[in-house]
Amino acid sequence: MERASSVFWTRRRRDLAYQTLSLLAVFGFATLIVATASNNLAERGIEAGTEFLGDRAGFSLSETSLPYSPDDSNLWAILVGIGNTLVVAGLVSLYSTILGLFLGIARISDNPLAAGLSKAWVEVARNSPPILILLFLYSAIGKVLPIVDAVTLMPHILVSQRGFALPWFSHPGSALSMALGAAAAIALLLWTNRAVTRAQQRTGRRPPWLKFVSLALGSIFLSLVLFTWQDIKADLPVANGPDISGGIVVSPEFFSLIVGLTFYTTGFVAEIIRTGLLSVPRGQWEAGYSIGLSRWRTLRLVVIPQMLRVIIPPMTSQYINIVKNSTLVIAIGYADFMVVMGTMINKTSHAIEGTLIIIATYLLINLSLSALMSRVNRLVQVAER
Amino acid sequence: MMARARIVTMAGTPSLARRLVGSPGNALITLLLAASMVVILPPLVRWAITDAALFPAVPESCRAVSGACWSFIVAKHSQILFGIYPDAQRWRPLVVCVILLGLLVFSVRPRAWQPRLAIAWFAALGLSWWLMAGGAGLVPVGSDLWGGLPVTLILTVVAIGLGFPTGVLLALARRSTLPVIRLLATLFIETTRALPLLSILFIASIMLPLLLPEEILPDKFFRALIALYLFASAYLAEVVRGGLQAIPRGQYEAGEALGLPYWQLHLKIILPQAIVVVIPALTNTVIVMIKNTSLVLVVGLFDLISSGKAALADPAWSSPSIETYLFITLIYFLLCFGFSRFADRLERRTKVPTK
Repeated sequence: MERASSVFWTRRRRDLAYQTLSLLAVFGFATLIVATASNNLAERGIEAGTEFLGDRAGFSLSETSLPYSPDDSNLWAILVGIGNTLVVAGLVSLYSTILGLFLGIARISDNPLAAGLSKAWVEVARNSPPILILLFLYSAIGKVLPIVDAVTLMPHILVSQRGFALPWFSHPGSALSMALGAAAAIALLLWTNRAVTRAQQRTGRRPPWLKFVSLALGSIFLSLVLFTWQDIKADLPVANGPDISGGIVVSPEFFSLIVGLTFYTTGFVAEIIRTGLLSVPRGQWEAGYSIGLSRWRTLRLVVIPQMLRVIIPPMTSQYINIVKNSTLVIAIGYADFMVVMGTMINKTSHAIEGTLIIIATYLLINLSLSALMSRVNRLVQVAER
Repeated sequence: MMARARIVTMAGTPSLARRLVGSPGNALITLLLAASMVVILPPLVRWAITDAALFPAVPESCRAVSGACWSFIVAKHSQILFGIYPDAQRWRPLVVCVILLGLLVFSVRPRAWQPRLAIAWFAALGLSWWLMAGGAGLVPVGSDLWGGLPVTLILTVVAIGLGFPTGVLLALARRSTLPVIRLLATLFIETTRALPLLSILFIASIMLPLLLPEEILPDKFFRALIALYLFASAYLAEVVRGGLQAIPRGQYEAGEALGLPYWQLHLKIILPQAIVVVIPALTNTVIVMIKNTSLVLVVGLFDLISSGKAALADPAWSSPSIETYLFITLIYFLLCFGFSRFADRLERRTKVPTK
């Protein structure tokens, strides 16, 4: 390193030169890309800009969680796509976390049947491309669904080419206000739980606030139900030839993508849980048994809290993977964010803007997920005094 | 009762019967799992074996049965594996697959990490290219006729082969003392890792036509290859960086004390140790890349899934898509599972004593 130094080329100057050069190279490359691309676009009569976002979208999407019609703007179409992606990612995260926890515990179980079956699940999931799992499930479902008339699977559960119809309830309020109410109740419970834990740490006694709050919330809920009882009705699906009216219909696409991605991700979550469980020293189990806790209570009260510290970082990247893997739904024709962007870019030719929107959206989703998970991570770390 | 069962568990492996039904909880689990197997297995066996059609491999044998149509796989396996490559020449893509798999297996062994590994790569890739494209004694076959497994493997192997050196450079850049270089490397790695591969493939397929004049525009194959290469280099960079972080400071100091310049210090002392540490993560990335190449289907490349779909389009058969997707999944499973088993064995054999 010192051999290269001379009176002029001191180490500092050389470092500065390297950095300036690489910065210039990258900037030059980026400018070249943007200039060539916008030049080429201008030749085809396309002006760069964001006005196209306000234009009529003009394409239809098969299945959306937010209301959408082709007359809506491009911007709304993008938001609908993001909504679809988040619904899929959210459901898959929820289901695979729960299933993965059980599968991970089953992996280290004494029971050879449970351990063997869960190992088979993990190996198949980890060594198969998820896109094939989706294609396989989708074509399998297509063959199983009745071709002509809807068939009653169980009382009030129908199945037809349109998918599975389940009973739902027609509720007086809007879905949004119900969701907001539920979220507020959960937030209140979490906040109370934290306050109780703090009070316990301060005074050594656990105040009974949680009971009061749950009681209050429960009575509010009960009275709401009692007052609006007349308006709540079960909305049962009714078969009408090949059509189904009423109820809530889960399309074959949605069903197979949720089941397929959950199956795939659960294999990975189970491995994370298993390594987490094995990272807790055996002495902790024995300590739990020796104070008379059962195997299940030892797991819940002693082992899992210590496991959480190990598994939060890999789980974070697993949740981010779920968001990324949700793009595979394109293979079976579900309109996620990437499908919307692809259709839009083909239609409007705003490739540069579209690319930037894609990059920005995934960065935003991933960074918020990481930020959220690092908050969770701080909560479960060892509280050292 | 409970206490005794627990003591037995801790003393060693209890008997099979005790592990199955030793405690009420275990008995319940066994009962539930066995019951669901009794429900699921018989129809599955009926579909896959008893009621299935295998020989003769003609459409009529499938119409005669209610179960799986394996005859289709028997009749079409060569088309699914090698696409529309000329029938008489199909031994060539087969040899290419063997060469490329052998190259992957050969390269993850630390013993192979010598300058001549690079020669082996060039030789293997050149040989594969000659076998696929023909010329010089072989019948020429245009790249529009390539398809199936060799395409999948070429994409994987080239993306990893180019991505690895780039990944090492990116990892070193990310740990550089020069803030600008560190920032640029971090920006590239983090952006690439934040994006789904599918969107990188998509961006490559829409942006490249805008950037390059018609004459030098790479075809779909090379666009996908560029996307896979960028993706692989970002992931491999993070794997290598993990290894670099595991090297104690003393190793750097020892190298500097000997007066080794930056590149010699890294090539001779740091990287050989850092890469051995991350062999498990490297083989994992290879498996992830094998699985990920299945996505090139979406940008219209003729990979294993596309050739399966093309085989399904034959109107003589009743489109046995479940069987076809199972067959392709099985190929991927064997590749990935085999490779991970090999990696496990390798890891146990090359355990480097620490400190």
